[in-house]
Amino acid sequence: MEPIITIKHLGKQYAGKTVLNDINLDIYPGQVIGYIGPNGAGKSTTVKILTGIIQDFYGEVTVAGKDLRKDVIEIKKMIGYVPELAELYDLLTPREYLTFVGKLYHLPDNIIEERSRRMLDSFGLLANLDQRMDSFSKGMKQKILLTSGLLHNPSIVIFDEPLSGLDVNAVIMVKELLQVMKQEGKTIVYCSHVMDVVEKVSDKIVLINQGQIVANATIGELKKDETDTLEQIFSRLTSSGDQMQKADDFASAINDKTISE
Amino acid sequence: MNKLFLKLVMLPSGLWHGMGADIDQLRAILTVRLKMDDRKPLSFGRQQAQKKERKAGSFFSVFISAVMGCLYLIPLAAFKDNVFAFWAYYTTFTFILTFMLITDFSNVLFDPRDKFTLLHRPVNDSTLLLSRLLHVFIYLLRIVLPMCLPGWILVGIIMGWQYALLFPVPLLLMIFMVLFIVNGFYLLLLRFASPQRFKEIINTFQIGFSVIIFAMSYFMPRVMQSSVLQHMDLHTFGWVRYFPSYWLAACYSWLSPVSILAGTRMLSLLAIVVPLACLWITIKYLSPQFAVRIGAVDAFESGEGNVQAKTGKKSNFYLKLARIFSRSDAGQAGFMMAWLQTSRSRTFKMRVYPTFAYVPVYFVYLLTLNKEPLRDMWQNLHERNTFIVLLYMSAFVMAQAINFVTTSDQYKAAWIYYASPVEKPGKIMDGAFKALWAKYFIPYFSIISIFVLSVWGAGKILDIALAMTNVTLFIAIIIRFSYKAFPFSRMEQINSSGTKILKAFITLIIPGMLGIGHYFAIHIWWLKLLFLVLSAILLWLVWDSYSNTSWEDLKKEEI
Repeated sequence: MEPIITIKHLGKQYAGKTVLNDINLDIYPGQVIGYIGPNGAGKSTTVKILTGIIQDFYGEVTVAGKDLRKDVIEIKKMIGYVPELAELYDLLTPREYLTFVGKLYHLPDNIIEERSRRMLDSFGLLANLDQRMDSFSKGMKQKILLTSGLLHNPSIVIFDEPLSGLDVNAVIMVKELLQVMKQEGKTIVYCSHVMDVVEKVSDKIVLINQGQIVANATIGELKKDETDTLEQIFSRLTSSGDQMQKADDFASAINDKTISE
Repeated sequence: MNKLFLKLVMLPSGLWHGMGADIDQLRAILTVRLKMDDRKPLSFGRQQAQKKERKAGSFFSVFISAVMGCLYLIPLAAFKDNVFAFWAYYTTFTFILTFMLITDFSNVLFDPRDKFTLLHRPVNDSTLLLSRLLHVFIYLLRIVLPMCLPGWILVGIIMGWQYALLFPVPLLLMIFMVLFIVNGFYLLLLRFASPQRFKEIINTFQIGFSVIIFAMSYFMPRVMQSSVLQHMDLHTFGWVRYFPSYWLAACYSWLSPVSILAGTRMLSLLAIVVPLACLWITIKYLSPQFAVRIGAVDAFESGEGNVQAKTGKKSNFYLKLARIFSRSDAGQAGFMMAWLQTSRSRTFKMRVYPTFAYVPVYFVYLLTLNKEPLRDMWQNLHERNTFIVLLYMSAFVMAQAINFVTTSDQYKAAWIYYASPVEKPGKIMDGAFKALWAKYFIPYFSIISIFVLSVWGAGKILDIALAMTNVTLFIAIIIRFSYKAFPFSRMEQINSSGTKILKAFITLIIPGMLGIGHYFAIHIWWLKLLFLVLSAILLWLVWDSYSNTSWEDLKKEEI
């Protein structure tokens, strides 16, 4: 099987600082990739490159056989992106925002209307369809972002912390949605710091640290034994010291401060 | 420079402490705010400009402010009486500052970001309010200092070094007075009006005040030239003693006693006492509950909160228009974004709507230039060709609208443009411009056209058509060269007054030139027809170039 996303020697620098360094990765159709790493490891940069937001990078990226530099528009059509921060034009209503997004993806009006209604109904937001989003909670905005990212029925979906701000019921629903999308053969890149969710939903874990891939394997291959968890694997591969010790040091620092005061 | 300003505002630390502020917190908040101002990105994904460029831009802003400061010298020269001259000087300054405070800095005072960064921390109301007020004070200081430079130099040369040395003192007191009176008024309003009502009142007030200031800036110089005013002295116009600007002038004149009104020595004490008293009242009596009320006001930018938008046929009107004006989906998306956001963004409305009133005010000003009685002027109106001026002045409405259509507090939401499969960004920009054209220009131009037809007769149809094409061409040229950006995708820079003034200058020159061409052809119908065809061809060419703006073009614009 041909990979749907191929990344070769991907690199990126910001003001002389290397953020991504020689990333090589193949992602196959229908796979759910858990793309994880510590803060500042380069996850968001990779995602922004894949989604065409950042276009000046080194190396090669091909999606469905298309070169990201040459066919960025065709690639964007295939990708659905749910960013980490719920940044949207919240003076608009969900209906207006989704119509706007749908137009950018050349969806017919009736499809936009039908899909918007049904998708928001599933999230329990149908009654809010014509309310301005400036009064929405973070979770409600996140649901709108999820809807807008999937509205054009993309074959590749990139989620960056998709569960941020969602209530428990919505979290269950999104997890289920991931399974359904996987069964439909969609390729999913799932970025998150919530390790137990990543562990459950991902076929393969790609762990990035300081701009480089330090692990690229199934969860089974990464585990040393049955009791090993993704959280422990993550810590082992990305941390320079014992987290328990660091927590103790941290608590001591607080206490010292309190004592000195 | 920031460090210097910070030191200056923290000089009366004891006073701030006495008012209940926590000095360490106050200094920390102000330091961070000033740093953030310097580091604001310019648009989504766009890095801050190089330091050198920023410095060059700052110098240009200082230069423009200094040039504007020369205009304020007119009152200093208009009056023979020194105290009176300074009264007029401070009054002009007070109006300008009040205008700036209301139009530009309300957003700083009601910055909703504090909700997430400060409101949950142990920062008391006095510290919070004072930090916002002093932040705005520093903004004003940055603008006022270069503006008062010409006056400062002139006073130094004419009146001697003692006057020059103390020149900034009354100006600083004036800034304090304006700042605390305007903000005291805001806070009082917050006490008695609901947050929603408050936003509406402020917004209406801002629009109304802008129009008044604009009208005054045109009609005041004429009033100044009147013989009555030129021979005005303090004894015949004793009422000026009740103006705070007179107290400042009187206070300043203490340096070398001149003939001043009886009892104004006492009144001029108010110049020092009032700012301090205002400050005291604001902090002591109005700041309690400030945090709570600010929290309730929420984003100044945002609209009616939990408001149900109109549904049904009327709400789809903009979609129908979008389809009529743009064939491409991207164009329709740009159209609907600009149409909806401009209706709901308070900042946009506040900046653009006053322009609707500016045009008739300016037109009346031009008509009354030769000082003939109003009735005669109205009767003779149809014999003059002033309609040309009126038709071309409609360009200001569009110029102002396009000036603010690319900026927004929510510029980060523009990521969606970059992640979507948009082949030509120009299509979205094209749709946004058409929305402004259909929403603001066409209705406004139609009203002006009806007025022109009713006064000058149906024979002016060709002139109306030519003016409409020329104005649209002019706007197209401006956006083609200056506004290559997605709608609501850039953050507004407060310190960009220099660039704004340059754009305003171009806004005056181009329609002026097109209007002069039209004026010379006013009696030759075939020449007007020829101009109309040429203008339409040029418009099409410019328009085609704009709507085909590529990602590469956009990138060049952002560097």
